[in-house]
Amino acid sequence: MNTGKMRRLQNEVAQAWAVAVKDVRVYYLTPPMIMFGLALPLFLFFSFSVKREIGPEQGMSRLLALTTFFTASSAGVIIIPMERRTGTYDRLLAAPMALITLLIGKTLVGAFFAAAVALVSLLVGLIWLHVDVANPPLLITTLVLASLTFSALGLVFASIPSRSVGNIMMPSTLIRWPLLFISGIFIPLSEMSPWARAVAYLSPLTYAQELMNRAVLGESLIAPWLSLTVLLLSGVVFLAAAAWMHQRSRRLGY
Amino acid sequence: MNNAIVVDNLTKYYGDLLAVDHISFEVEQGEIFGFLGPNGAGKSTTQRMLTTLLEPSDGRIFIYGHDIARDAYPAKRRMGLVPEESNVYTELSAWDNLMFTAQLYRVPGSQRASRAQELLETFGLWEKRHVKAEDFSKGMRRRLSIAMAIIHKPTLLFLDEPTPGLDTQSTHAIHGLIRQMNAEGATIFLTTHQIEEANQLCSRVAIIDHGQIAAIDTPERLKAAFRRVQSVQVALEPDGAAHGQALAALEGVTTVVRMGDKWRLYTADPSALLPQVVDYARVHKLRLVSLNTQGPSLEDVFLEITGQEIGTVAHETGANRDRRQRKGGKR
Ligand SMILES: Nc1ncnc2c1ncn2[C@@H]1O[C@H](COP(=O)(O)OP(=O)(O)OP(=O)(O)O)[C@@H](O)[C@H]1O
Ligand SMILES: [Mg+2]
Repeated sequence: MNTGKMRRLQNEVAQAWAVAVKDVRVYYLTPPMIMFGLALPLFLFFSFSVKREIGPEQGMSRLLALTTFFTASSAGVIIIPMERRTGTYDRLLAAPMALITLLIGKTLVGAFFAAAVALVSLLVGLIWLHVDVANPPLLITTLVLASLTFSALGLVFASIPSRSVGNIMMPSTLIRWPLLFISGIFIPLSEMSPWARAVAYLSPLTYAQELMNRAVLGESLIAPWLSLTVLLLSGVVFLAAAAWMHQRSRRLGY
Repeated sequence: MNNAIVVDNLTKYYGDLLAVDHISFEVEQGEIFGFLGPNGAGKSTTQRMLTTLLEPSDGRIFIYGHDIARDAYPAKRRMGLVPEESNVYTELSAWDNLMFTAQLYRVPGSQRASRAQELLETFGLWEKRHVKAEDFSKGMRRRLSIAMAIIHKPTLLFLDEPTPGLDTQSTHAIHGLIRQMNAEGATIFLTTHQIEEANQLCSRVAIIDHGQIAAIDTPERLKAAFRRVQSVQVALEPDGAAHGQALAALEGVTTVVRMGDKWRLYTADPSALLPQVVDYARVHKLRLVSLNTQGPSLEDVFLEITGQEIGTVAHETGANRDRRQRKGGKR
């Protein structure tokens, strides 16, 4: 690689980082972010876990999968239409950086939020509930990868050309909730009927849950390497889809 | 390559609405180029295409010789952009807004602080640098958004109506800055609907309306057209259609247009016409309900330059819409 390209790459990395840090600073306390990124996954967790008798490890694993899914995928859905409305998104689109750099920066934002929420959940679990984590390195890897992938999923919805959070929240909910309910998050894969399991394999959340199970409980149906690969590939596909939709939206000026 | 911008056959449809209609023009390096037109003329649409934010339906844009549809990066590095609405991060302070923009444009770390301080002082915001932009007035936000647009010292600056709604002091500061940047070599693309602003600042002005460019010339030469479409507006009592002919016969009147209960008399010299109108009313024992002079409206200037009948368009926007409907099918 020649020095010009090297320099450009350095710039793009710094720009993606600047976008991510700025977004975290600007949006971490906004009401929709707290509502959809923090309150909703916690609410879901408690409403689906209280009655069933589940152990702290199983609860931990489920909570981590839920929060990474919802928190990470909510960031783009909330932030990007807000920035379109205030016109600040144009600032980013007009800046001298590649579209993919902007999207990676935005992916990092959701991942930061998700990681922060997961970290708090994890500390609570470790300190108060004395949860034993079977495979800490796998847990960290999973948290990072799942946060990035689900954040990229949020960007796909955010690429719908609209300035209203509602217009984007709507389709994102229509897709994210089914992805949640078909996944192995509330019913373990091993307890599913074969056809339900086949459907569960369609949801990327299933693989995140499987990885969490392996990392926390030490057991999973799907091999970790396979789950990691599926999550990684999904993330790449989500980013590519977001980039493609962003390109198309430029015809409408979004 | 002496042109900063070359636009060739640029066109934008929003669905069926033709917002920019096959326009072509060039902006030389070092110019202050005015893009003058009334509301809805297609100015912002054009500027958004020039700054890569909107994809044209047809036509090409070259910035410093680079086709921006192929590679916008070299153009983006050198351009600064002040959009129609001040798009600052309201949750961040003025200082943090500038720091973020400096990072985005890769201003070297060692220069960021000094550059930000210089700009905040120029725009009278230094004392308020730690105040969140949400507590800024409209004018302060405007100044901050301009500061953000030039923190990387762009050589090509786009401004979309930078001054409406600002007091004279803010307007002066912004005009001063545009002149100064231009003196230091920057090319300026200034979108405006204020004839006076274009006159004062620009070396050349394009007049656009209904998505078409009627003329591109120096303000001096366009002034002749502006002068021809000044007018005197009068309301008489008792009113009647019969006044039309008599008013048209007054010296210096080029066209008479009936507007509700008023008459608009187009003339190159309103001050010479006013006393004649007063005399007319006195001689015929009419009451002057109202009498005033009107500067040239952009709609009228556009019609005058394109040789159409003046005084009619501003009041029948519905009909204009029809004319702009696309004849063919959808894209
Ligand atoms: N996103 C959009 N979708 C559909 N139509 C649009 C869009 N943006 C602008 N238009 C239409 O295109 C035409 C040109 O609009 P544009 O904003 O370019 O005008 P302008 O010259 O900047 O006017 P103003 O002085 O009011 O800012 C208008 O008729 C407007 O209604
Ligand atoms: Mg405009």
